[in-house]
Amino acid sequence: MKPSRISAYFVLHAKSYMRSRSALFFQIAFPIILILLFGAIFSGSSYSPTTLIVQNESPSAASWGVISAINDSGLFKVQVISETQNLSDYITVHSVQAALLVPANFTTNLYNGGVGELVLKGHTNPTVASADYQTLNGVLTQIDFRTSNTSQKLVLSSQVALGNTGKTIDYYVPGLIGFTVLSTMFNMVYTVPNYRRERLFRQLSFSGLTKSEWITANMIFSFLMLVLSDVILVTIGIYAFGASLTLNAETIVVSAVIIFGGLFFFTSVGILAGLVSDNEETVSVVGNLVMFPMMFLSGVFFPLSFAPAYLVTISKFLPLTYFINSLISVLDYGNISSVSLQIVYLLIGSAILFAIAVKLFSWKQK
Amino acid sequence: MPETVISVTNLLKSYSDITAVDGISFSINRGEVFSLLGPNGAGKTTTVEILEGVRNRTSGDIRVLGEDPEKSRSLIFKLGILPQDFSFIYNSTPKEALDFYKGTLTASSDLNEILEMVELGDKATTPFQKLSGGQKQKLGLALSLVNDPEILFLDEPTSGLDPRARRNIWNVIKTLKEKGKSILLTTHYLEEAELLADRVAIMNKGKIIDSGTPMEIVERHHEDDNLIIRGDGQVENLLGSGGYQFQREGPYIKVGLKSIRDATEIINYLYEKKAKFDDFTLKRESLEDVFVRMVGEIEEDETE
Ligand SMILES: Nc1ncnc2c1ncn2[C@@H]1O[C@H](COP(=O)(O)OP(=O)(O)OP(=O)(O)O)[C@@H](O)[C@H]1O
Ligand SMILES: [Mg+2]
Repeated sequence: MKPSRISAYFVLHAKSYMRSRSALFFQIAFPIILILLFGAIFSGSSYSPTTLIVQNESPSAASWGVISAINDSGLFKVQVISETQNLSDYITVHSVQAALLVPANFTTNLYNGGVGELVLKGHTNPTVASADYQTLNGVLTQIDFRTSNTSQKLVLSSQVALGNTGKTIDYYVPGLIGFTVLSTMFNMVYTVPNYRRERLFRQLSFSGLTKSEWITANMIFSFLMLVLSDVILVTIGIYAFGASLTLNAETIVVSAVIIFGGLFFFTSVGILAGLVSDNEETVSVVGNLVMFPMMFLSGVFFPLSFAPAYLVTISKFLPLTYFINSLISVLDYGNISSVSLQIVYLLIGSAILFAIAVKLFSWKQK
Repeated sequence: MPETVISVTNLLKSYSDITAVDGISFSINRGEVFSLLGPNGAGKTTTVEILEGVRNRTSGDIRVLGEDPEKSRSLIFKLGILPQDFSFIYNSTPKEALDFYKGTLTASSDLNEILEMVELGDKATTPFQKLSGGQKQKLGLALSLVNDPEILFLDEPTSGLDPRARRNIWNVIKTLKEKGKSILLTTHYLEEAELLADRVAIMNKGKIIDSGTPMEIVERHHEDDNLIIRGDGQVENLLGSGGYQFQREGPYIKVGLKSIRDATEIINYLYEKKAKFDDFTLKRESLEDVFVRMVGEIEEDETE
């Protein structure tokens, strides 16, 4: 390994990369478009929340506490209607998607140590109703209304926790950072078979450049591009959509370490995928086969807590899930200690995979 | 004794199904231009790539500047290589490619001079994919010169070039030879080998079927010299009645000669008979004529 050769290739690569519109699009423009899109769609929800019609048939300190906690979550704007109205008729007449009923036995059940049941009444569109259900369910879990001592105090303390988890944009920033790390895989998925076919590795070797120097130069460049695109993502998330992230020296360094590990991991996956694809068609098949499940099931595009159980199980087998979860924990909650072991495992796993990929990746002709 | 820079002894290379190089031996001296000739698939590129260290051999011994290219890591810095199917990063420019080579090879060469030498100066900032086939080839040659190498491997350096560009590359190769570079050149243009090579080896089906200076090869294998006359049917009739063997080739009539001196006799005879012909030339067989026959004969032997 000679630094002068690494830097010579770095310069050559950087110039060619900057000239490649598709590479720039996927590395920089695409994540920005996604955050603008997600930001526009989801950050709005915290400022103009879905209106939730509520009918309270069991008025008590406990039930009103829960209702106001739902309202304070920022995800719903509660609008209470009178007990005398027929809720089902109201839904039909006013074309309401869904409305929440606090049944007459709610308070009694709670005070007797049982479960306080709430009923979400839907209208026609089941998917919207179900999304509302999932969100509401998440909110209610946080409130923990099963405590028999449902005093106003408990409800208030839940509000603080909700303040952090409620905003969807907070969730998408780490998700999209995970996406940028995942897309570094594609540099290799396309480069390796293409360079082999065009015999560019042979040509590069005539310059005295070695395989390790080539990989090192690529990694340094990819890391710098990642830092650039992720800084842009975080900046847009915070300043355009009001994401509240925990940014301090510690969380930034740990996030960089996670991103660095992810880069090693996905570069290795990319090299291995590139090695098994010997023509252009297999390249895109293999690439998409690896990319799409991870992209959708690791929580880049929607939070997994809202997904059905079997998808959550699948996501547990996808490495990207752990990168994103670690990032969420560090960036959203500033919680490093609970994921530190997970991060160590990720780094070790990445290092092992990287060693295997580099070993299998030969520049020599048969 | 001239210094040997490349020596090849009983080199053999088999792929899974065929033997591409079948026990060849040759050596190249310092300052020599040595040309490997042979039809498609003869094993030239395989041989060259083994010498470059790009491919591993099956058996045999090779030495390039005293080292085994399969094992040496430093040898590459003394070699200049233009592969047959040269290609580069599709959107890098010649200038960037040369800068990169200069950086990795820690060379001190003048890149503009190299670009001018291969006549690529005006395309220095054009992305590789937008260069013409010949311009790409010239970039390949330019890259092989960056480290001022002791040995050059040029695998078909002029294929795809227009006649003027080809002559320019010939001049580049002559200049390199004058600077004392040793060059292994493969080509399908036999006149190129005749003009540039000190020695040639003719390969066919993995074997060297003959080697020597181009003159020696022609001397060994040539058939009759020919008198070529540009003339019409009347000339043909006269030649026929004079008892001469001839063949028509387009506007030309080719008369086989036992000895060069017979030419005067034929021309005098045609003058006496007042034959009308435009011009005539005396032609020895070229390396190409000899080559086509040598390679053709082997093909025919095998199909029998
Ligand atoms: N990677 C490979 N795997 C299997 N066979 C190969 C491989 N490369 C070359 N060959 C075979 O080896 C033989 C020699 O090929 P080579 O490229 O050395 O020929 P060549 O003399 O350079 O031909 P040309 O003039 O067309 O360039 C051919 O029959 C070819 O099909
Ligand atoms: Mg060849």
